Amino acid sequence: MTSTETSSSSEFTIFMRAYQDMVFSTAVRLTGNEAQAEDIAQEVFLKAYQGFDQLRSSPSAGGWLKTVARNLALNHLSRYRKRWRFFSELPPSEDDAPPIDVPVPDTMLLDLTTAERGRQIEAALRGLPGHQRVPLVLFHFEELSYEEIAAKLGVSLSKVKTDIRRGREALLPLLEASGVTPDESTG
Amino acid sequence: MDQERTIERRVHEALRGLPPARAPRTLEARVLDAIEGRAAAPWWRSSFAQWPWAARAGFLGASLALVLAAILIGQAPAVGGSFAAFQAHPLMVVPGVSQAQALLATFAVLRTALARAIPTGWIYFAFLLGGLLYALLFGLGTAAYRALYLGTPAQVSYR
Repeated sequence: MTSTETSSSSEFTIFMRAYQDMVFSTAVRLTGNEAQAEDIAQEVFLKAYQGFDQLRSSPSAGGWLKTVARNLALNHLSRYRKRWRFFSELPPSEDDAPPIDVPVPDTMLLDLTTAERGRQIEAALRGLPGHQRVPLVLFHFEELSYEEIAAKLGVSLSKVKTDIRRGREALLPLLEASGVTPDESTG
Repeated sequence: MDQERTIERRVHEALRGLPPARAPRTLEARVLDAIEGRAAAPWWRSSFAQWPWAARAGFLGASLALVLAAILIGQAPAVGGSFAAFQAHPLMVVPGVSQAQALLATFAVLRTALARAIPTGWIYFAFLLGGLLYALLFGLGTAAYRALYLGTPAQVSYR
């Protein structure tokens, strides 16, 4: 390896360290699966390496990485879902599905540290069914509008709204038990 | 509606307050290994666009020559060893070319003879039977997949 390559490689390592948590978070919140998210994050950084000459000096590198991670995660889910549908019984209509109960731990969440509470909420989010978790993540983390989410997922606007509402309702008991209030969580 | 807005705000602030999930320690090593692996791979294993220009030109030339040769062989009649025949069809002197052409001609004769000998109804029946057997095998494969490899629907149905 030449000195130029070594320097470029270490520069890329620094770049990767700066963004890997963000890329991984995007992927894991959408897929709900750490192993799949790691594969997706790896793919994102391999793409970044190919265009690193332009990316290293770009102020929008973070946004680019986040968009690529989101699109790869959605493509992954879409491919997996098509395969699943093809080989499996069609699931019952998800519009009629009963609301999901997110388990609230027996221990009083009020006694937990902020980090532990965060972990509980993160786990509850991952535990939501995909059809609620994905639009919820796209709305709250990726800041897409309802219309954009409906277009991206190829479903109706009303379904997106219903799924997001049910996802929020499923998370609410956990948030209440943890004592998270708007004022507290923003601080 | 107000209650819904309150829930939306509350969930939004709780979720946005979460720190990013920590990437696994193995990720960095995996990416660097993959980059090294790609760099060490021979040029012909990379995408065509990344081949050296000489290799790309050579490949395109060879492909074109192959197509032209196939067309010439297909059009040329069976020729003997005369000079006149060579002048007319130079490819015929290449070892194996005339044999290949003879083989193709034999297949053509065989196909014509079979088409005459076998009633059309039988041919349709054979195609239908083949299709049915394919569908049966596919159905068996699907049933086996459902029975043996069912996963968790929550991971896959995101809509």
